[in-house]
Amino acid sequence: MLILLPQAIVDGLMIGGIYITIAIGFSLAYGVMHIIDFAVGEWIMLGAFLGYYLTEWTRIEPLFYLPVVFVLFGLIGYLFQPVIHRVLSGKKGNPLLMALVFTFGLALMFKGLGLTIFGFYSRSIPSNLSAGSLSLEWGNFFVTIPTIRLVGLIYALTITVLLNLLLKKTDFGLAVRALAQNKEAAGLMGINAKRTNSWVYGIYVGISAMSGVLIGCTFSISAQMGAKYTVLSFFIVVLAGMGYLSGVPWAAILLGLVQSFFLIYFNPGYTLLAVFVILYAVLLVSPKGMFGKGV
Amino acid sequence: MKNKKTLIFCAIMAVLLIIPLFTSDPFVLRIVTECFMWVGMAITWDVMAGYTGYLNFGHASFFGIGAYVTAILMMKYGWSFAATLPAAGLAAGLAAVIAGLPTLRLRGAYFAIATWALQLAIMQVALVLNITGGPDGMRLPPFLHPEFFYYLMLMVVAATFLLLWFLLERAPFGLKVKAMREDESGAMALGLNPTLIKTEAFVLSAVPAGVFGGIYAYWITFIDPASVLADIITDQAMVMAVFGGLGTLIGPVIGAVLVYAFKTYFWAYLSDYQVLYLIILGAMIALTVVFLPNGLWGTLTGYTGGKKSLKKGVGLDDASVDDTVEKKGAEHV
Repeated sequence: MLILLPQAIVDGLMIGGIYITIAIGFSLAYGVMHIIDFAVGEWIMLGAFLGYYLTEWTRIEPLFYLPVVFVLFGLIGYLFQPVIHRVLSGKKGNPLLMALVFTFGLALMFKGLGLTIFGFYSRSIPSNLSAGSLSLEWGNFFVTIPTIRLVGLIYALTITVLLNLLLKKTDFGLAVRALAQNKEAAGLMGINAKRTNSWVYGIYVGISAMSGVLIGCTFSISAQMGAKYTVLSFFIVVLAGMGYLSGVPWAAILLGLVQSFFLIYFNPGYTLLAVFVILYAVLLVSPKGMFGKGV
Repeated sequence: MKNKKTLIFCAIMAVLLIIPLFTSDPFVLRIVTECFMWVGMAITWDVMAGYTGYLNFGHASFFGIGAYVTAILMMKYGWSFAATLPAAGLAAGLAAVIAGLPTLRLRGAYFAIATWALQLAIMQVALVLNITGGPDGMRLPPFLHPEFFYYLMLMVVAATFLLLWFLLERAPFGLKVKAMREDESGAMALGLNPTLIKTEAFVLSAVPAGVFGGIYAYWITFIDPASVLADIITDQAMVMAVFGGLGTLIGPVIGAVLVYAFKTYFWAYLSDYQVLYLIILGAMIALTVVFLPNGLWGTLTGYTGGKKSLKKGVGLDDASVDDTVEKKGAEHV
């Protein structure tokens, strides 16, 4: 049992890496636009299928398509955001509630669309890296690291660093942070809230879709996978504190560890229940996330 | 006005009561019975979404809990059907208290996520436990009396409707709930306990759903996680309520009947395109939100839930009500 411990920890870190990327864009979108996007899992699913078809047609390593998927879905998100903005700024009823309902409807629609086009089968994106793995050994302990998961972790860290640089070092990042803090004051300083929001939403959709390709190379993809990833990104974002970006990597890695330990030591069927219990405990004890810095 | 409403209600009930006298076609009875069930699911979902302003994305969990409690008590412990229904409602209510207490203190987004996660978690548990039969589901003894289930479902749904109507539209509880929805800090200043009221409303919405689940289990005689705990149950109840009009009791009833009629037609004539149904449901929610934020009933009658109830309850003039509602929109959820 103990002999599997390093493997469980390494697996957890690798899975956590992928979770970072699915949650970080989501957290960004929440922090700036205050929108809870229930369609996050569906963006991942659509991105994964785009990657799948591109790879099937051209037979080129899917990882090269990451920028293509990002740009394409970024554009879709950018063009799509005004519709959400319209719902959010509606005068009738409760706009934020309506926005939640709206994205839920979108998620349902995308899922139906996915099922219509891609069918009910599970697939995986054929990557040259899928088969390879690194093995480490010292004493009694040994660890196997699939190359693709290592790539996933590197990709996740790269995205995190890039996003951090974008937010902390550029004028655009300054505008985004200003908007997140105070929308009206930011508007008075000459920040175009609508356009900045569109960019943020575009970046979020792009990152989610790109992570979908990576998930497709690592695990399997199907039209129904969306709900699972939506719940996982919610879990990470709530655990980290809503809108608190720096907490996301830690929460994601914690989730990865929970998952790998359940997979190795307990019944994997109880993973989601464990996730719910942790979510419940965090909400009960510290609703603002593990670090108490959420909004 | 009040007499007119009572008259319409009695007329509809009378028509529904005599339907089985004219037709004993099990197909028709089954369709109408299921329609009653969806009316019940839609109005109970609306208790949370329309009256308290919290979105419950896991309504199916209560339905499923009710169904499984009935099935387990009947099959493993030999209870009679009548005795299992209160137990089903109780179990669903208990689940609501446990899930609601930590999350209802927070803003709506947390609640929405937590209820959805709860549904997925319960589905996972139902898939792995022995007592629920795992993915194979459970079989119940067949009881082939369509009329019995027709009347039972009708009575339970009508009783739920009347109970909700009384509590939310006539009793002080409804005013408390609405006050809390419109301005939570204001309601607290008046000495109300928002978390308690919200939890009560959540239980009020969960218990009938559990009972419907119990009836469903015995009626269909077969349940499995994919049929009683599926997302589609929540989604459908939600479309019905949102399409009909949130914050009213009539709206979801109308929405449920229309959406259910559409669904039946769709499945009967276009069954090759079943997944299209999901797209249509999703598109319906999205389009309703963008173009009919008050739903069908709200748009037709100009009844916008919140504002009118506020005016009625607190006696504010139009301008200040508009003001509160708009300010509220900025900070709620």
